[in-house]
Amino acid sequence: MPDVRAIDYAGSERLTMNMGPQHPSAHGVFRAILTLEGETVVGVDAVIGYLHRCHEKLAENLAYVQYPTIASKTDYVAAMSSELAYVMAAEQIAKVEVPKRAQYLRVLVGELQRIASHCLWLGTWCMDMGGALGGGATIFLYCIRERELVLDLFEALVGARLLYGFHQVGGVRYDLPEGWTDLCRRTIDLIDSRVDEYEHMLADNPFFDMRTKGVGVISRELAQDVGISGPLLRGSGVDFDLRRAYPYSSYEDFEFRVPVETAGDCYARYHVRMVEFRQSARIVRQVLDGLPEGPISSRPGVKSLAQVKVPKGEAYARVEGPRGEVGCYLVADGSNKPYRMKWRGASFSNLSVLPHILVGASVADVVAIMGSVDPVFGEVDR
Amino acid sequence: MSGFSSLPPALQATIMSAAVLGALIGILAYVTLLERKFAARLQSRIGPYRVGPHGLLQPIADGVKLLLKEDLIPASADRPVFNLAPIVFLVPCLLIFATIPFAPGIGVADLNAGVLFFLAISSLEIVGLFMAGWGSNNKYALLSAMRAVNQIISYDLPFLFSALVPVMLAGSLRLSDIAAAQAGLWFIAYPVIGQLAFLAFVITAVAAENRAPFDILEAESELVAGFRVEYSGMKFAIIQLAEYAHVLGTSFLGALLFLGAWAGPGPAWLGPVWFLFKALFVFLLLTWVRWSFVRIRVDQILRVSWKLMLPATLLLLFATAAVIVWRTPHA
Amino acid sequence: MPDVEAPVRRTRAAERGTFGEAWAIARALVWGMRITLVNMFRKPVTVHYPTVERTFPNRFRGLLALTYDKETGEENCIGCRLCEFICPPAVIKVEMLKAEKRNYAKTFTLELYACEFCELCVQVCPTDAIIMMKSFDLSTSDRREMLLDKDRLHAIGLQHEPSWATGNKLRDMQAPPKKVAGEGHAAAAPGGDA
Repeated sequence: MPDVRAIDYAGSERLTMNMGPQHPSAHGVFRAILTLEGETVVGVDAVIGYLHRCHEKLAENLAYVQYPTIASKTDYVAAMSSELAYVMAAEQIAKVEVPKRAQYLRVLVGELQRIASHCLWLGTWCMDMGGALGGGATIFLYCIRERELVLDLFEALVGARLLYGFHQVGGVRYDLPEGWTDLCRRTIDLIDSRVDEYEHMLADNPFFDMRTKGVGVISRELAQDVGISGPLLRGSGVDFDLRRAYPYSSYEDFEFRVPVETAGDCYARYHVRMVEFRQSARIVRQVLDGLPEGPISSRPGVKSLAQVKVPKGEAYARVEGPRGEVGCYLVADGSNKPYRMKWRGASFSNLSVLPHILVGASVADVVAIMGSVDPVFGEVDR
Repeated sequence: MSGFSSLPPALQATIMSAAVLGALIGILAYVTLLERKFAARLQSRIGPYRVGPHGLLQPIADGVKLLLKEDLIPASADRPVFNLAPIVFLVPCLLIFATIPFAPGIGVADLNAGVLFFLAISSLEIVGLFMAGWGSNNKYALLSAMRAVNQIISYDLPFLFSALVPVMLAGSLRLSDIAAAQAGLWFIAYPVIGQLAFLAFVITAVAAENRAPFDILEAESELVAGFRVEYSGMKFAIIQLAEYAHVLGTSFLGALLFLGAWAGPGPAWLGPVWFLFKALFVFLLLTWVRWSFVRIRVDQILRVSWKLMLPATLLLLFATAAVIVWRTPHA
Repeated sequence: MPDVEAPVRRTRAAERGTFGEAWAIARALVWGMRITLVNMFRKPVTVHYPTVERTFPNRFRGLLALTYDKETGEENCIGCRLCEFICPPAVIKVEMLKAEKRNYAKTFTLELYACEFCELCVQVCPTDAIIMMKSFDLSTSDRREMLLDKDRLHAIGLQHEPSWATGNKLRDMQAPPKKVAGEGHAAAAPGGDA
């Protein structure tokens, strides 16, 4: 790996450009100090930490009943997966059984969240590549329009649109209201047809191909060495999806395809996520068809702070979020608060591939690559 | 109009220029609103709506706002260059309207080499653009200005060639002659050559005006506002006005070269109205392209220009010449 | 229903030779522009807020409020402080006032500017005293106006429409059914579910 600190910053044709934390395409607060030679990037210095909010310390001071609402703020674009990791870790230590209906509901919201998150990814990526006042903004607004439909579903289910507090230790907090399943089916059908439209706009589109094919190639060996996960890994030829390899929360009951591409460039990752759109819709339909009756939690609803006590032990729970593997390592000491929580953010590990693929790319490609890596800085900085 | 023609020529020219300039600024302001509303409808939303009925007072509100803004000049900027750049950018973009005849006999200056004048003057905006990028003393602005110069120079040649096709078909560089030659058949309806030339014209026009998908120079997501980034207040307004004037001027040129200028059903005084509609149609076509595609990288833009557009338009020119020779009856 | 196994449209342009490639590119460009044109004729999704209010779903988590008992008109809050203890950002402060028949809250302050709207306080309340409303409209230019005291909270409760959730309803929804009179699913709780 090229040692970024050995770059000769004093070279006369070299320009140090700061893609600072405030930047329309920084996807959050990310600072990349790029050393450019003309239009080519020869060095990357990534600075993170602008969104650090001490999640891991907070978890030591908040009880198991309080923290799931805060956990959604790590990956705030895919809040359901974030909460699920924490709650599953606590359930693993306490050996709490989650009722079948609750597991299916968790799968349902997880996949709906994946659709919403990928809508946001596609919209912001195209906007970065096309500019806020160009064709990219068009696709952005279409994707946001579809994402609003999913958020309306969540609002009818939970009451909140972005940060839910849906999960609790032992199950979930809310059950489906009247008429929600029909609304959900109609929404999924509409989103499927609209995703068709996006593909029409982008596939075979020479402008899109020029920007994404061969850009930001992550080879299979690099992918496995660096420890990335999610669509980045599957776009580079590694067939690994936690829902298939280590099924949790009844994922083994559902049929779905895990897309794998071998090219490793931005186009491959785009293709993987587009297939994931369809497969998530497929899983949602299967869940709605097969939802069992039963309780939604094996523990009574939260009534007091001291209600959930987890005995001594430790566990690491992993969830396949839209960005990759979200993990929560929990050390419990018998009280109602954890002793230590360590959060594995998917985007944090995914960002470590940037120095390898940004060097040699041009400035415009930096934007396309950052978008296809799809980081959310809530998980990176915690 | 006999009273008008009896005035001394200098006065005639002044009045005509003033009238054209006044009408132009008014139309430009509302063309920005037209673009915003059109783009909004393409994106399932409404666009300006609250300021005045259906947003009709929005351009005025924007103008007042920009007038009242603080005029910030970066401390390390090259002041004379920085301050002059918007004007040097604006003047060529307004001057291109000088040769366009809005109706037979109405126009500021119907030069013999109208097309040539148009294209030559419109390339002068590069000077103003580079002055803006350089005077800002800002790496982003400089990068963007360098890209812009590269791009506009590369696309001016194919633009010229595609504009030369109607010139060859009409046999004259004078714009009113070209418009008159389309009385029977608009040049865009000319089999194959007309359509190809129009297509090439649209593509090179989009590129020469730095509009998406060739707007890498202002790439908001990478370089924020490109060469304009340090400008605020009225100077920014002047730059915006100049850009829209250039686009509108090219739309007028396109309507004149290919769509028959003032030819249309109805009485003769309706001619300029038809001309305006056709120009707005070309403008909306450019806008529709702008809002439908992501942008491509600068090296790809240049590759398209030198490897695709230039040979293609050259071939088109030769083909046009061959067709003209073939169809002209020999004496 | 779309064919979920069909591969995403991929470019096969390169396989077709120059003319095929040019044709594919032209067709793709025209198709892209067609999509934008089709969208132009769809109804815009804009909601003309604030002239038009959007309908809130039944479970909307909006402003917080304290309630009175429907029959007696007494305050529901017994000052037990369970909401204060459960609140993750600790925005609630309650002082209990002891009286003969039942307790009250002497003071009840809620810092709405720091509230997460997680609904945990609503969940734990034993008497359904604190609930959330179907409204979020409390924008102000002075943050001190968002420090709600007891009177303000009661006033909000009378001003807007309440959401579906109360403590007892939420706990009933989440509780596993009792083994005895197992009649299916806890979601058919009394009070209706919306």
